[in-house]
Amino acid sequence: MSTEALAARRRRASTLMDGLIRPVLGPILAVLIAMAVGAILLAAVGENPIHVYATLAEGGLVGWPNLSVSLQLTTPLIFTGLAVALSFRAGLWNIGAEGQMLMGALAAGILGYAVSLPAALHIPLCVAAAFLGGALWAAVPALLRVCLSVNELVVCLMMNPIALLLTGYVSARVLKAPGPTNKLPDILDSAILPNFSLFSQLNAGIFIALLACGVITLVNSATVRGFEWKILGVNPRFAHYAGINVGRNALAVFMVSGGIAGLAGAEQVLGVYKAYYDNFSPGYGFDGIAVAMLAKNNPTGVLFAAFLLGAMNAGSAVLQMTMGVSKYLVQVLQFIIVLVLAAQFSFSWLRAGARRRAASPQGEA
Amino acid sequence: MDSDLAYSAIRIATPLIYAALGGLLTYQAGILNIALDGFMIVAAFAAIAVAYATESLMLGVMAGIASAMVLAALLAVFSLRLRANIFIAGIAVTFLAYGLTALLLKGVLGQEGVFSSDRIPTFAPLRIPVIADLPIVGPSLSGHTALVYLAYLLVPVVAFSLYRTRWGLRVRVVGEAQDAASAAGINIFAIKFETMLLSGLFCGLAGAYLSLGYVSLFAKQMTNERGLIALAAIFFANGNPYWTAAVALLFGAATALSVRLPQVTGLAPQLLQLIPYVVTLLALVAVGVRKTRARNRHGAWRFEL
Repeated sequence: MSTEALAARRRRASTLMDGLIRPVLGPILAVLIAMAVGAILLAAVGENPIHVYATLAEGGLVGWPNLSVSLQLTTPLIFTGLAVALSFRAGLWNIGAEGQMLMGALAAGILGYAVSLPAALHIPLCVAAAFLGGALWAAVPALLRVCLSVNELVVCLMMNPIALLLTGYVSARVLKAPGPTNKLPDILDSAILPNFSLFSQLNAGIFIALLACGVITLVNSATVRGFEWKILGVNPRFAHYAGINVGRNALAVFMVSGGIAGLAGAEQVLGVYKAYYDNFSPGYGFDGIAVAMLAKNNPTGVLFAAFLLGAMNAGSAVLQMTMGVSKYLVQVLQFIIVLVLAAQFSFSWLRAGARRRAASPQGEA
Repeated sequence: MDSDLAYSAIRIATPLIYAALGGLLTYQAGILNIALDGFMIVAAFAAIAVAYATESLMLGVMAGIASAMVLAALLAVFSLRLRANIFIAGIAVTFLAYGLTALLLKGVLGQEGVFSSDRIPTFAPLRIPVIADLPIVGPSLSGHTALVYLAYLLVPVVAFSLYRTRWGLRVRVVGEAQDAASAAGINIFAIKFETMLLSGLFCGLAGAYLSLGYVSLFAKQMTNERGLIALAAIFFANGNPYWTAAVALLFGAATALSVRLPQVTGLAPQLLQLIPYVVTLLALVAVGVRKTRARNRHGAWRFEL
C-alpha cells in the first residue's frame, strides 16, 4: 500500500474520530471515572459495587415498567438540561433552573384549576404561563447581571430557596386545597396532559420536551439570534465590538432559559402530579447542570444525557427499595461527572499537558 | 436592646463569620469561591460523626477541619491545575458534598435525614469574668462557647495577616494584578492554593460549629446557603475583614429577629425564613449599584472575578 493511501485512510479515520467519537469520548470517560470513584465509596460503606451498579442498571432499563419510569424522569431533565445548556452556551451561568421550574409549576398549577377552558386552549395556556413564570423568575438574576454586574451564580442560588419558600407559602396558606397535604386544588381534566403508561406517570409532556429540543436546535444552528448567543459565550467583548447588543441578548437568553426551565414545572404539574404539590421536586433543576455539562451544551446531546441521568434516578429508587443504598449515590456520581467534565479532562488536554510541561513549568492559573 | 436577641445574633452570626473569613481570603486572592457551603456541610458531617465515635469534641472539630481542607484541596487542584471553571467546579464540589454527606449519613450512621445522639458531647458555655458583670452588654457577650469567641478573635488575626504581613501583601497583589504578581516573582499557584486551603480551614470550623456547637445534630443540607450569605457579606464589605464580620453580624441579627417574630406576629414561617435570603439579595443589589456607579462604563459588560 502506498504511503498516500495510508495517509488518506488515516485522514478519514481522524475525521471519523473528530466527528463522531471525540465529542462523546469526554463524557464517557467522565462517567467511567465517576463510577470508579463511586465504586470505591460503595466498597467503603460495605456494599458490593458490582451488585449495586447491576441493580442500578436493571432498575433503570430492564423491562417496560422500569423503562417508562426512566422516561418519565427523563422528561423534566430534558427541559432543565436544555435551559442550563442554553445559558451556558451564551456564557451565562443560569443555575437557578430549580427555582424557575417551581415558579413555572406554580403558574401552571394555578391556571390549571382556576380557569375553565376546552383542552385545546387550556393546556397551551398553562404551558405558556409556566414559560412566563420561569422567564420572569429568571429575569431577576438576568437584570441584576446585565444592569448591575452582580454575579448571577450567587443570585441564582439565592433565588432557588426563595422560590421554594414562596411556593411553599402559597400552597400552604394562600391557595391551599382542603386536606392535610400542602398542595393547590387538583387541576381540571381539560388541563391534564394525557398519560400513556400504566406503570408510570409518563405523559405527553415528553413530546413538548422533544419539541423544545428541536426548536432550540433550530435556533442555535439556523438563526441570527442563536449565532449571537454563541458569540456572547465565546467572547462577550468581541460580541460588543461586532455590534451585538450584549445586554439585551444576555437578558433574552437568560429569560428564555428560565422559561424552558418553567416548562419542566408545567410538565410535572399537568402530567405527573395533576396539582401543584409543595416541594415536589427532588432537584431536577440541579440535575439539569449535570445534563448540560454531559451534553456539552448541545441540544441533541441533552436528550441522551437526560436519559442517562433519568435512568440513573429511576434505578436509584429501585436501589433504595431493594438494597437500602441511599439514592444520593446518584447525586454523588452526577457531580463527580460534572467536576471531571469541567476539568477539560480530554485527550486533547492530556496531549496539551505533555506539551505544556515541556514548554513552561508554571501552569496557567 | 433585648439582650437575649443580641445573644442569639452573636450565636447565629458565628458560622457566617467563619465562612466569610474563609471566602474573604480567596476573594482577596482573586478567586470567587462559591463552594463554601460544600466545605461546611462536609465539615459538619465529619465533625459530628467523629465526635459521636470518639466522644471527643476536639477530635470532632479536627476531623471537620481536615475534611473541609481535603475538599478545598480538591477544588483547588481542579480549578488551578486542571483549568476547570471555578464556578462549575465550585457548584460540582458543593452538590457532591451535599450528596456525599447524605449518602454517608445513611451508609455510616444509618439515618435517613437527621442524625443526633446523646453520646455527642456539647461545648460548655464560657463565662468571661469582667464582661459578664457589665450592666447592659454583659449577658449577651458572655456565656458563649469557645468556638463563638474563636470566630470573633480570628477576625483581627485575618486582618493582620492580610494587611500587615508579606504573605498578605502577596495575596492582595495576586488578587488585584495577577500579571504584575507573576512578573514580580510571586508563585501565583502557591498563593491561590494556600488561600483555598485556609478557606477550607475556616469553613471547617464553621461546619464543626454548626453541627456540634450551634445545634447538636446533623441534617442534610443543614448549611442553608450560609456560604452564599457569607459571600454577600464579603461583597458588601468589599473584602475588608472587619466590615465583613460586621455585615455578618447584621445578617445574624436579621435572622435572630426572624426567629423571634412568629411569636409576635402570626406570619407564616415560610415568609420569615425568607428574611435572610431577601436581606442577602438586597445587599447584593446595593453592591451592584455601588459598583456600577464607581465603574466607568466603556463596553466591558462582564466583570472579571
